[in-house]
Amino acid sequence: MMLSGARQGALSGIRRVIATAMSRDLSAFVLPGPAIARSRGLDLAGSNLIIVGTPRHAGVLIIVGPIAEGLQDAAAVVYAQMPRPRAILALGAGDIAPLPVADASAPLTQDGLRSGLAELRRVVEAGAFHVDAADFTAAALEVRIEYTCPMHPEVIRDEPGDCPKCGMTLVPRETSAVGHGGHEQAQNMAETVDHSEHAPKSDDSCHAGHDETAKDAAYTCPMHPEVVSDEPGKCPKCGMNLVKADGEGGQGHEGHGTHGGHDEHSSEPVDGIEPHFMSMVELTKDQPRSSDGLQMEWIEAPFGPFFPGLPAGLHLSLTLDGDTVAGSDARSLVGMADLPGGTAMAPGQFVDHLAAMQLSPIAYRALACAAIEDAAGIAFGADDRRARAAAIERERIASHLSWLAEFGVQTGFLWLAGRAGALQLAVQGAGTAEIVALAGPIGRLIRRVQAAPLMRMRLRGIGRFGKDRVAWGPVDRARGGGSDARSDDATLKELGFGIRVRNGGDALARMMLRCDEIDQSIGLIATAGTLAAPMLADVGVVSGEGAASIETPRGAARLTVTLTDGKVTGAELETPSTAHLALIDDLTRQRELGDALVAVGSLDLSPWEMRG
Amino acid sequence: MTVAIVLLSLALGAYLLAVIERWAVHGHLSLTGPAWAALALLGRESVLARKSDRLFFEIGPVLLLVAGLLAVAVIPLAPGLIISDLATGALFLNAALAYVLVALIMAGWGPNGAYAMIAGWRFLGQFIAYAMLIVMPITAVAMRAESLSTVQIVTSQAQLWNVIYQPIGFVLFVVAAMGLAWLPPLDLPDATGELAGGVEADYTGARLAVLRLGRMTIILALAGATVTFYLGGWLGPWLPPWAWSAIKIMLVAAAMLGVGRYMPRIREARYLALSWKLGISLALANIFIVGVIALVVPL
Amino acid sequence: MTGMTVQMIFLVFFGAAAVWFGIVVFRTHSMVRSALALLFSQTAVGAMFLVMQAEFLGVLQIMMMATEMSVMAIFMVMFMMDPGGLGEMDMTHQKRLSLSAGGIGLLASLLLVWLPDWGPVALSVPGAHEQAQALGRELLGRSMLVFQSAGLTILTAMVAATMVAIVPNAEQRK
Repeated sequence: MMLSGARQGALSGIRRVIATAMSRDLSAFVLPGPAIARSRGLDLAGSNLIIVGTPRHAGVLIIVGPIAEGLQDAAAVVYAQMPRPRAILALGAGDIAPLPVADASAPLTQDGLRSGLAELRRVVEAGAFHVDAADFTAAALEVRIEYTCPMHPEVIRDEPGDCPKCGMTLVPRETSAVGHGGHEQAQNMAETVDHSEHAPKSDDSCHAGHDETAKDAAYTCPMHPEVVSDEPGKCPKCGMNLVKADGEGGQGHEGHGTHGGHDEHSSEPVDGIEPHFMSMVELTKDQPRSSDGLQMEWIEAPFGPFFPGLPAGLHLSLTLDGDTVAGSDARSLVGMADLPGGTAMAPGQFVDHLAAMQLSPIAYRALACAAIEDAAGIAFGADDRRARAAAIERERIASHLSWLAEFGVQTGFLWLAGRAGALQLAVQGAGTAEIVALAGPIGRLIRRVQAAPLMRMRLRGIGRFGKDRVAWGPVDRARGGGSDARSDDATLKELGFGIRVRNGGDALARMMLRCDEIDQSIGLIATAGTLAAPMLADVGVVSGEGAASIETPRGAARLTVTLTDGKVTGAELETPSTAHLALIDDLTRQRELGDALVAVGSLDLSPWEMRG
Repeated sequence: MTVAIVLLSLALGAYLLAVIERWAVHGHLSLTGPAWAALALLGRESVLARKSDRLFFEIGPVLLLVAGLLAVAVIPLAPGLIISDLATGALFLNAALAYVLVALIMAGWGPNGAYAMIAGWRFLGQFIAYAMLIVMPITAVAMRAESLSTVQIVTSQAQLWNVIYQPIGFVLFVVAAMGLAWLPPLDLPDATGELAGGVEADYTGARLAVLRLGRMTIILALAGATVTFYLGGWLGPWLPPWAWSAIKIMLVAAAMLGVGRYMPRIREARYLALSWKLGISLALANIFIVGVIALVVPL
Repeated sequence: MTGMTVQMIFLVFFGAAAVWFGIVVFRTHSMVRSALALLFSQTAVGAMFLVMQAEFLGVLQIMMMATEMSVMAIFMVMFMMDPGGLGEMDMTHQKRLSLSAGGIGLLASLLLVWLPDWGPVALSVPGAHEQAQALGRELLGRSMLVFQSAGLTILTAMVAATMVAIVPNAEQRK
């Protein structure tokens, strides 16, 4: 018996002890993320697992549910980053290509987790080391060589040659074969930063210090003044084009023309410093300054799709200027908001498709049901409507608790991460009586979070964006906005709903508002007294158009459907996270890295409901 | 002989700290957990990043461990039970712990990864914040003891522990010590939610084990320093001196490890601002007050 | 005498280490390695102080240099291109001038070591406790003016440098 990720070696002596140790001390990396695992009802904290935030420290990869298509490459990269021996536990995942066959499989339930872990421990103890261990290859891991200029990192070619800007010989560099330019990488790709790239990205980057001996020569290399030649050509040391040395070698040097190929260089000779001395201040003067005034190298670092604390499935790539974010690129790898058009789908199938969104499935199920019922002209009794509204409110509580837990992970507030996660699991499957009973513990959690030391310092002033930007849900209500789809709902008005608003527009206001909403939802559920998941009534063979709008935990989602002869033939979905994605650039620009990540987290994005 | 005893107790202390840390971070209290974890780490392959600075990558964790061991060498566990009673013991402790910074810079720069590098430089920023606040309270403590020797500092507290004599210094020192050992909420170089493990992110296998052991040693050294400087070292009634040392050091270390669980991480800019604007003023005031009291009150 | 011989051996060892690290500063292509090599060179000098039984001075040297050189390392990363040294470019300048300056400096120090009469070698040094006390009395007694003014001057220089660095940026950042 051998793990697919076993380590090379015979299982004997000390290795047996080590294998036993590995089976006892399982450190797990959860794919797509602990938040998804909790929303599926798995209690990972209860089992004796160590959940880690980086695949480098993990020995087991736990896959929760089938891997979405957009995440397959990233999953392969994560698996390859785990040090061997590595194992895979697949819970309800089916075929996990491009990963190797799972070492232990189990259904996606708490019992399944328990039995899966027990089986996994047996497999790890027996198969961690093996003489015939094979390596893991996948398309996403192939590298190709590209050529770049050490002084002009923006110049990238596929073949060796010379830099068009300065003439230097291009040097080879490895990069990922999939995607463009090596930017499509999951977290922790080791080759993201190449130390030779630490050159300022400006065109006149040339460290030219002239020696006095260059005075009388005709041509010299800007970087190696000891190289002199009578004819134009290339420097033998670095390959750069030789330039005409200026006859004086002293003060009074004009900017243009004398340094071939460095057109923007205007050097005022500074007294006391050798002529043609290029200070770094000059070299970098055209670059935008970062907010703390320090000019550092630009690095592009990926923060997703499986980054701890950020929503799973969000590909976030930040261009960092030292510690400050200079630019961002965010998109969803798992967007499901583009609905299949054209083909006719049975209404039940359509509802299930929409409810397959990993986060807030009940709200989307309710949305689909409401839109189809509107198109078919079916109305509901007050009790059914209340039950449905209560189900959505229960999901709101669970979603906000999940957000609090992820916030705890992100900021190192570990008690919150554990407690909010446990309460979320308790709320998720609960009936009205149980939820009312949980009101006490949840209330205590909220009070404690709001009063936690350093909390205000951590969140105040972070995550503000312009007044003219569009926002939905808690993000909008936290800046005093009044958009809430529940305001137009008669059922909820009966239950005593009043819109909750906070002013501030920053991450602190959003957190406080979500806590307020948890309290409010518990109250609404208690008043409703009944709770049931949304079920689609029998539609019959009708045609029509319908629209519905539901306040998901993240904001108002709007769906329009077209029914033709009882089948859904057209649908359009607008979700809040799509609009919030556009805010990321505003939120992160020129912020310190930690603040930027907290700001992104405070938006409570769901990459599943974005356009893919 | 003394060296062997001290090292053994250090090993035991580090193991207990690992147990406490596992509980603080993951929520499981397991006495055999760290042992299994250490064995498992030894069996994992070591991964080396491309174009890494191999020298720094290897030396970083080792230097961390060496710095910790040197720092522990001047902590007195009982009268006579100290590896090296230097005349400038308190200063030497500080000097050894300064190499924690060098080790983390190496560990950050070595692997050639974005997360590690940012983490390494962030620790430098954090260092600027805690450096003064580690040294200035020690100055006040040495003023009272009229010596820099750690043994003298403990014996000078026979009448009154420094925690009561110089409470401001105590608070400043403990906070600065948490910054030095990058314990939450001051764990900027290791931030799981922001940097996916930071300086530890690119280490696997035996090197990670050395890194973690080094960190435990440093936490132990800092807890020992707090106890020596402020909590009266081995002084106490009924129990033998080494027992008092052990209890006090373990309690302080457990408090340092546990407190971060209950608050979010601090922002670097605020940490720097607080340390320099508030912290240094308080430290200077502390030195002044202690000086006045030492001259006036014969204690 | 054996004590002296052992001391001499250690002294030579640490001295050679200091010189070797100093050479590494210029031979290596990586800026960060260069900064940290300077750090270890200074640590070796601090160890030499410890060997010569100047305990306070040695510990102080080791402590201060660790922190100072680390700050220098980050400045090198900020202001120099190719801090990783992977481009393997020759970063030395003004070779003639520096060689001559170095040669003159070496000659001057050798002359300073050999020519004056430094007095007899001390056969015993005061213990570390007494040294620390004597040093304290000296610093706050006879040499107080020197050290206080030096301290203030350094502080002024730091503040001035920071202000010069920040003010132009504030103007640019409109």
